[in-house]
Amino acid sequence: MLKIKEVHAGYGRLKILRGINLSVSQGTIVALLGGNGTGKSTLLKTISGLLPVMEGSIEFDKKVITDSKPHHIVRSGLVQVTQSKEAYPAMTVEENLMVGAFTRSDKAEIKYDLEGIYSFFPALKDRRNMLSGTLSGGEVQMLVTGRGLMAKPKMLMLDEPSAALAPKVVLEIFANIYKISQTGVTILVVEQNVRMALLLAQYAYIIRDGRIMIEGKSEELINDPAIKEFFLGGTVTDTSKKLNA
Amino acid sequence: MDFDFNSLLAFIIFGITIGVVYGIVALGISLIYSGLDIVHFAHGEIYMFGAFIGLFLSQELGVPYPFAIIGAMIFAALLGMGIERVFYRRLTQAGGGYTVAGMGMIICGFGMSVALMNVAFLIWGAGAEPFPVNLGMPLQLGDISIPQSYVLTAVVSMLLMVVLNYFIRHTKLGLAVRAVAHNKDIAYLMGINVPLVISLIFGLGCALAAAAGVLIGPMQSVQVEMGYLMLMKAFAAAVVGGFGSLPGALIGGILVGIFENLGAAYISPSHKDIYAFLLLILVLIFRPSGLFGVIAKVKA
Repeated sequence: MLKIKEVHAGYGRLKILRGINLSVSQGTIVALLGGNGTGKSTLLKTISGLLPVMEGSIEFDKKVITDSKPHHIVRSGLVQVTQSKEAYPAMTVEENLMVGAFTRSDKAEIKYDLEGIYSFFPALKDRRNMLSGTLSGGEVQMLVTGRGLMAKPKMLMLDEPSAALAPKVVLEIFANIYKISQTGVTILVVEQNVRMALLLAQYAYIIRDGRIMIEGKSEELINDPAIKEFFLGGTVTDTSKKLNA
Repeated sequence: MDFDFNSLLAFIIFGITIGVVYGIVALGISLIYSGLDIVHFAHGEIYMFGAFIGLFLSQELGVPYPFAIIGAMIFAALLGMGIERVFYRRLTQAGGGYTVAGMGMIICGFGMSVALMNVAFLIWGAGAEPFPVNLGMPLQLGDISIPQSYVLTAVVSMLLMVVLNYFIRHTKLGLAVRAVAHNKDIAYLMGINVPLVISLIFGLGCALAAAAGVLIGPMQSVQVEMGYLMLMKAFAAAVVGGFGSLPGALIGGILVGIFENLGAAYISPSHKDIYAFLLLILVLIFRPSGLFGVIAKVKA
Protein backbone atom coordinates (compact mmCIF):
# COMPACT_ATOMS: atom_id res chain seq x y z
CA MET A 1 0.00 0.00 0.00
CA LEU A 2 2.73 2.42 1.01
CA LYS A 3 6.24 2.20 -0.40
CA ILE A 4 9.01 4.51 0.73
CA LYS A 5 12.24 4.20 -1.26
CA GLU A 6 15.56 5.74 -0.27
CA VAL A 7 13.93 8.85 1.09
CA HIS A 8 16.03 11.72 2.38
CA ALA A 9 14.23 14.61 4.01
CA GLY A 10 14.53 17.28 6.63
CA TYR A 11 13.93 20.89 7.55
CA GLY A 12 15.48 23.43 5.21
CA ARG A 13 19.15 22.52 5.07
CA LEU A 14 18.98 20.19 8.05
CA LYS A 15 18.75 16.63 6.78
CA ILE A 16 17.03 14.33 9.26
CA LEU A 17 16.12 11.26 7.22
CA ARG A 18 18.96 9.52 5.47
CA GLY A 19 17.80 6.91 3.01
CA ILE A 20 14.64 5.44 4.53
CA ASN A 21 13.23 2.28 3.01
CA LEU A 22 9.90 1.24 4.42
CA SER A 23 6.79 -0.44 3.12
CA VAL A 24 3.39 -1.25 4.50
CA SER A 25 1.30 -4.00 2.93
CA GLN A 26 -2.40 -3.52 2.55
CA GLY A 27 -4.52 -4.50 5.52
CA THR A 28 -1.58 -4.91 7.89
CA ILE A 29 -0.39 -3.04 10.95
CA VAL A 30 3.20 -1.84 10.77
CA ALA A 31 5.05 -0.11 13.60
CA LEU A 32 7.83 2.44 13.35
CA LEU A 33 9.74 2.53 16.60
CA GLY A 34 12.36 4.85 17.94
CA GLY A 35 13.21 7.24 20.71
CA ASN A 36 12.94 11.04 20.71
CA GLY A 37 14.59 12.91 17.90
CA THR A 38 15.12 9.85 15.75
CA GLY A 39 13.10 11.08 12.80
CA LYS A 40 9.73 9.40 13.31
CA SER A 41 7.62 12.56 13.17
CA THR A 42 9.77 13.92 10.36
CA LEU A 43 9.03 10.81 8.33
CA LEU A 44 5.29 11.14 8.90
CA LYS A 45 5.38 14.81 7.90
CA THR A 46 7.33 13.90 4.77
CA ILE A 47 4.90 11.15 3.80
CA SER A 48 1.97 13.51 4.36
CA GLY A 49 3.54 16.13 2.14
CA LEU A 50 4.16 18.74 4.82
CA LEU A 51 7.89 18.44 4.25
CA PRO A 52 9.52 18.18 0.82
CA VAL A 53 11.25 14.96 -0.20
CA MET A 54 14.90 15.78 -0.88
CA GLU A 55 15.76 12.45 -2.46
CA GLY A 56 13.91 9.21 -3.07
CA SER A 57 10.29 8.42 -3.78
CA ILE A 58 7.05 7.66 -2.02
CA GLU A 59 4.29 5.59 -3.54
CA PHE A 60 0.80 5.14 -2.13
CA ASP A 61 -1.84 2.82 -3.54
CA LYS A 62 0.32 2.39 -6.65
CA LYS A 63 0.47 6.15 -7.27
CA VAL A 64 3.55 8.31 -6.84
CA ILE A 65 2.94 10.91 -4.15
CA THR A 66 6.51 12.17 -3.72
CA ASP A 67 5.73 15.73 -4.81
CA SER A 68 2.03 15.82 -4.07
CA LYS A 69 0.45 18.57 -2.01
CA PRO A 70 -0.73 17.56 1.47
CA HIS A 71 -4.43 18.04 0.80
CA HIS A 72 -4.22 15.87 -2.33
CA ILE A 73 -2.50 13.11 -0.38
CA VAL A 74 -5.32 13.16 2.17
CA ARG A 75 -7.87 13.02 -0.63
CA SER A 76 -6.18 9.93 -2.07
CA GLY A 77 -6.92 8.10 1.19
CA LEU A 78 -3.72 8.45 3.24
CA VAL A 79 -4.63 10.13 6.52
CA GLN A 80 -2.40 11.05 9.42
CA VAL A 81 -3.60 11.20 13.00
CA THR A 82 -1.40 13.74 14.70
CA GLN A 83 -0.39 13.77 18.33
CA SER A 84 -3.23 14.26 20.81
CA LYS A 85 -2.72 17.89 21.60
CA GLU A 86 -3.60 18.89 18.07
CA ALA A 87 -7.37 18.80 18.17
CA TYR A 88 -9.08 22.17 17.65
CA PRO A 89 -9.66 23.34 21.22
CA ALA A 90 -12.05 26.11 20.26
CA MET A 91 -14.35 23.75 18.38
CA THR A 92 -16.76 21.20 19.75
CA VAL A 93 -16.14 17.47 19.52
CA GLU A 94 -18.62 17.19 16.71
CA GLU A 95 -17.11 20.12 14.79
CA ASN A 96 -13.68 18.51 15.09
CA LEU A 97 -15.02 15.28 13.65
CA MET A 98 -16.74 17.18 10.83
CA VAL A 99 -13.45 18.86 9.90
CA GLY A 100 -12.08 15.36 9.45
CA ALA A 101 -14.78 14.71 6.85
CA PHE A 102 -13.86 17.87 4.97
CA THR A 103 -12.83 16.09 1.78
CA ARG A 104 -16.15 14.28 1.54
CA SER A 105 -19.38 15.53 0.09
CA ASP A 106 -21.72 12.59 0.64
CA LYS A 107 -23.82 14.11 3.45
CA ALA A 108 -25.87 11.04 4.28
CA GLU A 109 -22.84 8.79 4.48
CA ILE A 110 -20.95 11.33 6.57
CA LYS A 111 -23.81 11.33 9.07
CA TYR A 112 -23.81 7.55 9.08
CA ASP A 113 -20.05 7.42 9.68
CA LEU A 114 -20.37 10.04 12.43
CA GLU A 115 -22.82 7.81 14.29
CA GLY A 116 -20.44 4.94 13.69
CA ILE A 117 -17.60 6.84 15.31
CA TYR A 118 -19.86 7.63 18.26
CA SER A 119 -20.75 3.99 18.81
CA PHE A 120 -17.08 3.12 18.52
CA PHE A 121 -16.08 5.82 21.03
CA PRO A 122 -19.06 6.27 23.38
CA ALA A 123 -17.20 8.82 25.50
CA LEU A 124 -17.12 11.13 22.48
CA LYS A 125 -20.87 10.81 22.01
CA ASP A 126 -21.46 12.00 25.55
CA ARG A 127 -19.34 15.04 24.84
CA ARG A 128 -20.34 15.77 21.28
CA ASN A 129 -21.22 19.42 21.91
CA MET A 130 -18.47 20.19 24.36
CA LEU A 131 -15.40 22.17 23.38
CA SER A 132 -12.57 19.77 22.70
CA GLY A 133 -10.27 21.83 24.89
CA THR A 134 -12.14 20.45 27.90
CA LEU A 135 -11.48 16.78 27.16
CA SER A 136 -9.05 14.54 29.00
CA GLY A 137 -5.91 13.22 27.29
CA GLY A 138 -7.40 9.85 26.45
CA GLU A 139 -10.58 11.44 25.11
CA VAL A 140 -8.59 13.81 22.89
CA GLN A 141 -6.67 10.85 21.48
CA MET A 142 -10.00 9.17 20.69
CA LEU A 143 -11.18 12.41 19.12
CA VAL A 144 -8.23 12.84 16.77
CA THR A 145 -8.35 9.16 15.84
CA GLY A 146 -12.06 9.49 15.14
CA ARG A 147 -11.35 12.64 13.16
CA GLY A 148 -8.90 10.72 11.02
CA LEU A 149 -11.44 7.96 10.45
CA MET A 150 -14.06 10.48 9.32
CA ALA A 151 -11.99 10.96 6.18
CA LYS A 152 -12.75 7.33 5.29
CA PRO A 153 -9.07 6.52 4.86
CA LYS A 154 -7.55 3.56 3.06
CA MET A 155 -4.57 3.93 5.35
CA LEU A 156 -4.17 5.60 8.71
CA MET A 157 -0.86 6.79 10.12
CA LEU A 158 -0.86 7.36 13.89
CA ASP A 159 1.77 9.58 15.51
CA GLU A 160 2.54 8.30 19.02
CA PRO A 161 -1.02 7.48 20.09
CA SER A 162 0.19 6.42 23.53
CA ALA A 163 2.00 9.66 24.29
CA ALA A 164 1.27 11.19 27.70
CA LEU A 165 -1.46 8.68 28.49
CA ALA A 166 -1.95 6.36 31.46
CA PRO A 167 -1.12 2.69 30.79
CA LYS A 168 -4.72 1.57 31.14
CA VAL A 169 -5.82 4.17 28.61
CA VAL A 170 -3.01 3.12 26.28
CA LEU A 171 -4.32 -0.44 26.34
CA GLU A 172 -7.76 0.82 25.38
CA ILE A 173 -6.37 2.97 22.56
CA PHE A 174 -4.36 0.10 21.12
CA ALA A 175 -7.34 -2.23 21.34
CA ASN A 176 -9.27 0.36 19.33
CA ILE A 177 -6.51 0.58 16.73
CA TYR A 178 -6.66 -3.19 16.38
CA LYS A 179 -10.43 -3.00 15.87
CA ILE A 180 -9.96 -0.32 13.21
CA SER A 181 -7.45 -2.52 11.45
CA GLN A 182 -10.03 -5.31 11.40
CA THR A 183 -12.31 -3.12 9.29
CA GLY A 184 -9.75 -3.16 6.51
CA VAL A 185 -7.85 0.05 7.13
CA THR A 186 -4.08 -0.29 6.69
CA ILE A 187 -2.22 1.05 9.71
CA LEU A 188 1.20 2.58 10.29
CA VAL A 189 1.73 3.36 13.94
CA VAL A 190 4.70 5.42 15.08
CA GLU A 191 5.56 4.76 18.69
CA GLN A 192 8.00 5.03 21.52
CA ASN A 193 6.13 2.41 23.53
CA VAL A 194 7.96 -0.56 22.02
CA ARG A 195 6.26 -3.36 23.92
CA MET A 196 2.69 -2.27 23.10
CA ALA A 197 3.56 -1.52 19.50
CA LEU A 198 5.19 -4.93 18.94
CA LEU A 199 2.13 -6.64 20.44
CA LEU A 200 -0.15 -4.73 18.11
CA ALA A 201 1.79 -4.74 14.85
CA GLN A 202 2.69 -7.60 12.53
CA TYR A 203 5.85 -5.96 11.22
CA ALA A 204 8.11 -3.32 12.65
CA TYR A 205 10.93 -0.97 11.73
CA ILE A 206 13.35 0.52 14.21
CA ILE A 207 14.64 3.98 13.35
CA ARG A 208 17.62 5.77 14.83
CA ASP A 209 19.46 8.89 13.69
CA GLY A 210 17.28 9.10 10.62
CA ARG A 211 18.08 5.58 9.44
CA ILE A 212 16.27 2.26 9.68
CA MET A 213 18.45 0.11 11.93
CA ILE A 214 16.42 -3.10 12.12
CA GLU A 215 13.22 -4.41 10.61
CA GLY A 216 11.29 -7.60 10.87
CA LYS A 217 8.22 -9.51 11.95
CA SER A 218 7.22 -8.37 15.40
CA GLU A 219 7.13 -11.85 16.90
CA GLU A 220 10.77 -12.22 15.92
CA LEU A 221 11.79 -8.76 17.04
CA ILE A 222 10.15 -9.22 20.40
CA ASN A 223 12.62 -11.99 21.19
CA ASP A 224 15.57 -10.40 19.42
CA PRO A 225 18.31 -9.78 21.98
CA ALA A 226 19.53 -6.71 20.11
CA ILE A 227 16.10 -5.08 20.49
CA LYS A 228 15.85 -6.05 24.10
CA GLU A 229 19.15 -4.43 24.83
CA PHE A 230 18.53 -1.47 22.60
CA PHE A 231 15.22 -0.42 24.04
CA LEU A 232 14.36 -2.39 27.05
CA GLY A 233 17.62 -3.09 28.79
CA GLY A 234 16.40 -6.59 29.57
CA THR A 235 13.73 -9.08 28.63
CA VAL A 236 10.19 -8.56 27.44
CA THR A 237 7.89 -10.45 29.75
CA ASP A 238 4.51 -11.91 28.97
CA THR A 239 4.89 -12.11 25.18
CA SER A 240 1.96 -14.48 25.00
CA LYS A 241 -0.46 -11.68 25.76
CA LYS A 242 -2.52 -10.92 22.65
CA LEU A 243 -4.83 -8.02 21.99
CA ASN A 244 -8.30 -9.39 21.47
CA ALA A 245 -10.97 -7.01 20.30
CA MET B 1 -25.93 73.56 35.30
CA ASP B 2 -28.28 71.30 33.43
CA PHE B 3 -26.44 68.34 31.98
CA ASP B 4 -27.42 67.90 28.37
CA PHE B 5 -28.30 64.22 28.16
CA ASN B 6 -29.53 64.60 24.62
CA SER B 7 -26.13 65.75 23.45
CA LEU B 8 -24.46 62.95 25.34
CA LEU B 9 -26.75 60.45 23.72
CA ALA B 10 -26.11 61.97 20.32
CA PHE B 11 -22.36 61.76 20.80
CA ILE B 12 -22.62 58.17 21.92
CA ILE B 13 -24.78 57.25 18.94
CA PHE B 14 -22.40 58.95 16.53
CA GLY B 15 -19.53 57.32 18.35
CA ILE B 16 -21.06 53.89 17.93
CA THR B 17 -21.70 54.51 14.24
CA ILE B 18 -18.19 55.60 13.41
CA GLY B 19 -16.93 52.99 15.85
CA VAL B 20 -18.64 50.24 13.93
CA VAL B 21 -16.78 51.34 10.81
CA TYR B 22 -13.49 51.23 12.73
CA GLY B 23 -14.63 47.83 13.90
CA ILE B 24 -15.13 46.56 10.37
CA VAL B 25 -11.64 47.64 9.32
CA ALA B 26 -10.24 46.21 12.56
CA LEU B 27 -12.11 43.00 11.82
CA GLY B 28 -10.35 42.79 8.47
CA ILE B 29 -6.99 43.32 10.17
CA SER B 30 -7.68 40.67 12.82
CA LEU B 31 -9.00 38.24 10.23
CA ILE B 32 -5.89 38.62 8.10
CA TYR B 33 -3.73 38.24 11.20
CA SER B 34 -5.61 35.09 12.16
CA GLY B 35 -5.24 33.54 8.78
CA LEU B 36 -1.87 34.68 7.57
CA ASP B 37 0.03 35.49 10.77
CA ILE B 38 0.85 38.91 9.40
CA VAL B 39 -0.18 42.47 10.13
CA HIS B 40 -1.17 43.94 6.79
CA PHE B 41 0.11 47.49 6.74
CA ALA B 42 -1.45 48.31 3.40
CA HIS B 43 -4.94 47.68 4.81
CA GLY B 44 -5.68 51.39 5.05
CA GLU B 45 -5.00 51.76 1.32
CA ILE B 46 -7.43 48.97 0.51
CA TYR B 47 -10.00 50.91 2.53
CA MET B 48 -9.13 54.04 0.53
CA PHE B 49 -9.38 52.18 -2.78
CA GLY B 50 -12.75 50.84 -1.68
CA ALA B 51 -13.96 54.37 -1.05
CA PHE B 52 -12.76 55.60 -4.45
CA ILE B 53 -14.24 52.64 -6.30
CA GLY B 54 -17.50 53.16 -4.46
CA LEU B 55 -17.39 56.82 -5.42
CA PHE B 56 -16.65 55.94 -9.03
CA LEU B 57 -19.48 53.41 -9.22
CA SER B 58 -21.90 55.78 -7.58
CA GLN B 59 -20.98 59.02 -9.33
CA GLU B 60 -19.64 58.01 -12.74
CA LEU B 61 -21.74 54.95 -13.39
CA GLY B 62 -24.81 55.94 -11.44
CA VAL B 63 -24.90 52.70 -9.51
CA PRO B 64 -27.26 52.86 -6.51
CA TYR B 65 -25.41 53.27 -3.23
CA PRO B 66 -25.98 49.77 -1.76
CA PHE B 67 -24.73 48.19 -4.95
CA ALA B 68 -21.74 50.53 -4.98
CA ILE B 69 -20.84 49.05 -1.60
CA ILE B 70 -21.09 45.50 -2.94
CA GLY B 71 -19.19 46.44 -6.09
CA ALA B 72 -16.38 48.01 -4.10
CA MET B 73 -16.20 44.94 -1.86
CA ILE B 74 -15.88 42.60 -4.83
CA PHE B 75 -13.26 44.79 -6.46
CA ALA B 76 -11.24 45.06 -3.28
CA ALA B 77 -11.45 41.31 -2.67
CA LEU B 78 -10.09 40.61 -6.13
CA LEU B 79 -7.43 43.30 -5.80
CA GLY B 80 -6.40 41.92 -2.42
CA MET B 81 -6.30 38.33 -3.62
CA GLY B 82 -4.21 39.42 -6.58
CA ILE B 83 -1.75 41.28 -4.36
CA GLU B 84 -1.51 38.31 -2.01
CA ARG B 85 -0.86 35.88 -4.80
CA VAL B 86 1.73 38.01 -6.60
CA PHE B 87 3.56 39.80 -3.80
CA TYR B 88 2.86 38.24 -0.43
CA ARG B 89 2.59 34.52 -0.98
CA ARG B 90 6.30 33.71 -1.05
CA LEU B 91 6.84 35.64 2.15
CA THR B 92 3.84 34.27 4.02
CA GLN B 93 4.68 30.70 3.10
CA ALA B 94 8.24 31.13 4.32
CA GLY B 95 7.00 31.91 7.80
CA GLY B 96 5.19 34.55 9.78
CA GLY B 97 5.39 36.39 13.04
CA TYR B 98 8.93 36.75 14.27
CA THR B 99 10.73 34.98 11.47
CA VAL B 100 12.85 36.86 8.97
CA ALA B 101 10.11 36.38 6.39
CA GLY B 102 7.55 37.71 8.84
CA MET B 103 9.58 40.87 9.35
CA GLY B 104 9.97 41.09 5.61
CA MET B 105 6.21 40.95 5.35
CA ILE B 106 5.87 44.06 7.50
CA ILE B 107 8.24 46.00 5.25
CA CYS B 108 6.45 44.66 2.21
CA GLY B 109 3.17 45.92 3.66
CA PHE B 110 4.56 49.40 4.08
CA GLY B 111 5.89 49.32 0.54
CA MET B 112 2.56 48.17 -0.81
CA SER B 113 0.89 50.97 1.15
CA VAL B 114 3.09 53.57 -0.54
CA ALA B 115 2.64 51.93 -3.93
CA LEU B 116 -1.14 51.81 -3.65
CA MET B 117 -1.31 55.39 -2.45
CA ASN B 118 0.71 56.55 -5.44
CA VAL B 119 -1.36 54.53 -7.87
CA ALA B 120 -4.46 56.15 -6.41
CA PHE B 121 -2.81 59.55 -6.70
CA LEU B 122 -2.08 58.92 -10.37
CA ILE B 123 -5.66 57.90 -11.01
CA TRP B 124 -7.62 60.33 -8.89
CA GLY B 125 -5.27 63.15 -7.97
CA ALA B 126 -4.64 64.64 -4.56
CA GLY B 127 -7.92 66.45 -3.99
CA ALA B 128 -10.56 65.61 -1.45
CA GLU B 129 -13.63 64.41 -3.28
CA PRO B 130 -17.03 64.73 -1.72
CA PHE B 131 -19.24 61.67 -1.80
CA PRO B 132 -22.76 62.97 -2.14
CA VAL B 133 -25.45 60.39 -1.61
CA ASN B 134 -29.08 61.32 -1.42
CA LEU B 135 -30.53 59.14 1.29
CA GLY B 136 -33.40 61.30 2.44
CA MET B 137 -34.10 63.37 5.51
CA PRO B 138 -32.26 62.75 8.76
CA LEU B 139 -33.85 60.35 11.19
CA GLN B 140 -35.45 62.00 14.21
CA LEU B 141 -34.91 60.23 17.53
CA GLY B 142 -36.58 62.53 20.02
CA ASP B 143 -34.47 65.68 19.97
CA ILE B 144 -31.57 64.07 18.14
CA SER B 145 -31.21 64.32 14.40
CA ILE B 146 -29.28 61.44 12.85
CA PRO B 147 -28.18 61.73 9.22
CA GLN B 148 -29.37 58.86 7.06
CA SER B 149 -25.81 57.96 6.17
CA TYR B 150 -25.20 57.14 9.83
CA VAL B 151 -28.30 54.97 9.98
CA LEU B 152 -27.34 53.16 6.79
CA THR B 153 -23.83 52.62 8.11
CA ALA B 154 -25.17 51.06 11.28
CA VAL B 155 -27.60 48.85 9.39
CA VAL B 156 -25.10 47.72 6.74
CA SER B 157 -22.46 47.01 9.39
CA MET B 158 -24.87 44.90 11.40
CA LEU B 159 -25.76 43.02 8.26
CA LEU B 160 -22.11 42.39 7.43
CA MET B 161 -21.50 41.11 10.95
CA VAL B 162 -24.43 38.73 10.81
CA VAL B 163 -23.45 37.38 7.39
CA LEU B 164 -19.80 37.00 8.38
CA ASN B 165 -20.72 35.26 11.62
CA TYR B 166 -23.05 32.87 9.83
CA PHE B 167 -20.38 32.14 7.26
CA ILE B 168 -17.68 31.42 9.82
CA ARG B 169 -19.81 29.37 12.20
CA HIS B 170 -22.24 27.53 9.95
CA THR B 171 -20.70 26.86 6.58
CA LYS B 172 -18.16 24.26 5.52
CA LEU B 173 -15.85 26.92 4.08
CA GLY B 174 -16.14 28.87 7.32
CA LEU B 175 -15.04 25.75 9.17
CA ALA B 176 -12.04 25.56 6.86
CA VAL B 177 -11.24 29.22 7.63
CA ARG B 178 -11.32 28.48 11.36
CA ALA B 179 -9.15 25.41 10.87
CA VAL B 180 -6.56 27.28 8.80
CA ALA B 181 -6.52 30.20 11.23
CA HIS B 182 -5.76 27.81 14.09
CA ASN B 183 -3.07 25.65 12.55
CA LYS B 184 -2.14 25.45 8.89
CA ASP B 185 -0.39 22.08 9.01
CA ILE B 186 -3.31 20.29 10.59
CA ALA B 187 -5.69 21.99 8.21
CA TYR B 188 -3.62 20.50 5.37
CA LEU B 189 -3.94 17.08 7.00
CA MET B 190 -7.72 17.46 6.95
CA GLY B 191 -7.53 17.74 3.19
CA ILE B 192 -8.13 21.50 3.16
CA ASN B 193 -6.53 23.44 0.29
CA VAL B 194 -4.73 25.80 2.62
CA PRO B 195 -3.27 28.31 0.10
CA LEU B 196 -6.72 28.75 -1.42
CA VAL B 197 -8.36 29.34 1.95
CA ILE B 198 -5.62 31.82 2.86
CA SER B 199 -6.34 33.75 -0.34
CA LEU B 200 -10.01 33.73 0.55
CA ILE B 201 -9.36 35.00 4.08
CA PHE B 202 -7.27 37.81 2.67
CA GLY B 203 -9.93 38.68 0.12
CA LEU B 204 -12.55 38.71 2.86
CA GLY B 205 -10.47 41.08 5.00
CA CYS B 206 -10.00 43.41 2.04
CA ALA B 207 -13.71 43.32 1.18
CA LEU B 208 -14.51 44.43 4.72
CA ALA B 209 -12.06 47.32 4.47
CA ALA B 210 -13.62 48.42 1.19
CA ALA B 211 -17.13 48.31 2.68
CA ALA B 212 -15.92 50.57 5.48
CA GLY B 213 -14.49 52.97 2.92
CA VAL B 214 -17.71 53.27 0.98
CA LEU B 215 -19.70 53.68 4.22
CA ILE B 216 -17.45 56.47 5.47
CA GLY B 217 -17.47 58.25 2.12
CA PRO B 218 -20.68 60.24 2.58
CA MET B 219 -19.73 61.15 6.16
CA GLN B 220 -16.34 62.61 5.27
CA SER B 221 -14.62 63.22 1.98
CA VAL B 222 -12.71 60.72 -0.08
CA GLN B 223 -9.04 61.37 -0.59
CA VAL B 224 -5.85 59.50 -1.24
CA GLU B 225 -4.43 59.93 2.28
CA MET B 226 -7.52 58.73 4.14
CA GLY B 227 -6.10 55.27 4.63
CA TYR B 228 -3.26 56.24 6.92
CA LEU B 229 -5.26 57.54 9.84
CA MET B 230 -7.90 54.83 9.47
CA LEU B 231 -5.25 52.12 9.64
CA MET B 232 -3.85 53.60 12.85
CA LYS B 233 -7.26 53.85 14.50
CA ALA B 234 -8.44 50.47 13.32
CA PHE B 235 -5.21 48.95 14.55
CA ALA B 236 -5.78 50.63 17.91
CA ALA B 237 -9.33 49.27 17.91
CA ALA B 238 -8.08 45.77 17.17
CA VAL B 239 -5.56 45.95 20.01
CA VAL B 240 -8.13 47.38 22.44
CA GLY B 241 -10.49 44.52 21.68
CA GLY B 242 -7.77 41.94 21.71
CA PHE B 243 -5.66 41.39 18.63
CA GLY B 244 -6.78 38.37 16.64
CA SER B 245 -10.20 38.21 18.24
CA LEU B 246 -13.05 38.88 15.83
CA PRO B 247 -15.72 40.01 18.30
CA GLY B 248 -12.98 42.00 20.03
CA ALA B 249 -12.25 43.93 16.86
CA LEU B 250 -15.85 45.09 16.63
CA ILE B 251 -16.18 45.97 20.31
CA GLY B 252 -12.80 47.69 20.21
CA GLY B 253 -13.93 49.75 17.26
CA ILE B 254 -17.10 50.84 18.98
CA LEU B 255 -15.18 51.78 22.11
CA VAL B 256 -12.70 53.83 20.10
CA GLY B 257 -15.55 55.57 18.31
CA ILE B 258 -17.38 56.45 21.50
CA PHE B 259 -14.21 57.51 23.31
CA GLU B 260 -13.19 59.65 20.37
CA ASN B 261 -16.52 61.42 20.10
CA LEU B 262 -16.84 62.00 23.82
CA GLY B 263 -13.29 63.31 23.96
CA ALA B 264 -13.90 65.67 21.07
CA ALA B 265 -17.16 66.85 22.61
CA TYR B 266 -16.15 67.33 26.22
CA ILE B 267 -12.39 67.81 26.21
CA SER B 268 -11.17 69.33 22.99
CA PRO B 269 -12.46 68.99 19.43
CA SER B 270 -9.26 70.14 17.79
CA HIS B 271 -7.38 67.09 18.98
CA LYS B 272 -9.99 64.62 17.88
CA ASP B 273 -7.59 62.12 16.41
CA ILE B 274 -5.63 61.76 19.62
CA TYR B 275 -8.33 60.05 21.66
CA ALA B 276 -8.16 56.76 19.84
CA PHE B 277 -4.51 56.45 20.75
CA LEU B 278 -5.11 57.67 24.28
CA LEU B 279 -7.51 54.78 24.72
CA LEU B 280 -4.95 52.45 23.17
CA ILE B 281 -2.30 53.56 25.66
CA LEU B 282 -4.70 53.14 28.59
CA VAL B 283 -5.65 49.64 27.50
CA LEU B 284 -2.04 48.67 26.95
CA ILE B 285 -1.18 49.83 30.44
CA PHE B 286 -4.04 48.15 32.27
CA ARG B 287 -4.95 45.20 30.07
CA PRO B 288 -2.32 44.65 27.42
CA SER B 289 -3.93 41.62 25.87
CA GLY B 290 -7.02 43.64 25.11
CA LEU B 291 -10.59 43.03 26.21
CA PHE B 292 -11.09 39.69 24.49
CA GLY B 293 -7.39 39.17 24.10
CA VAL B 294 -6.22 35.79 23.02
CA ILE B 295 -2.79 35.20 24.43
CA ALA B 296 -1.63 32.05 22.72
CA LYS B 297 -2.38 30.87 19.23
CA VAL B 298 -6.07 30.23 19.71
CA LYS B 299 -7.74 32.32 17.04
CA ALA B 300 -10.97 32.79 15.17
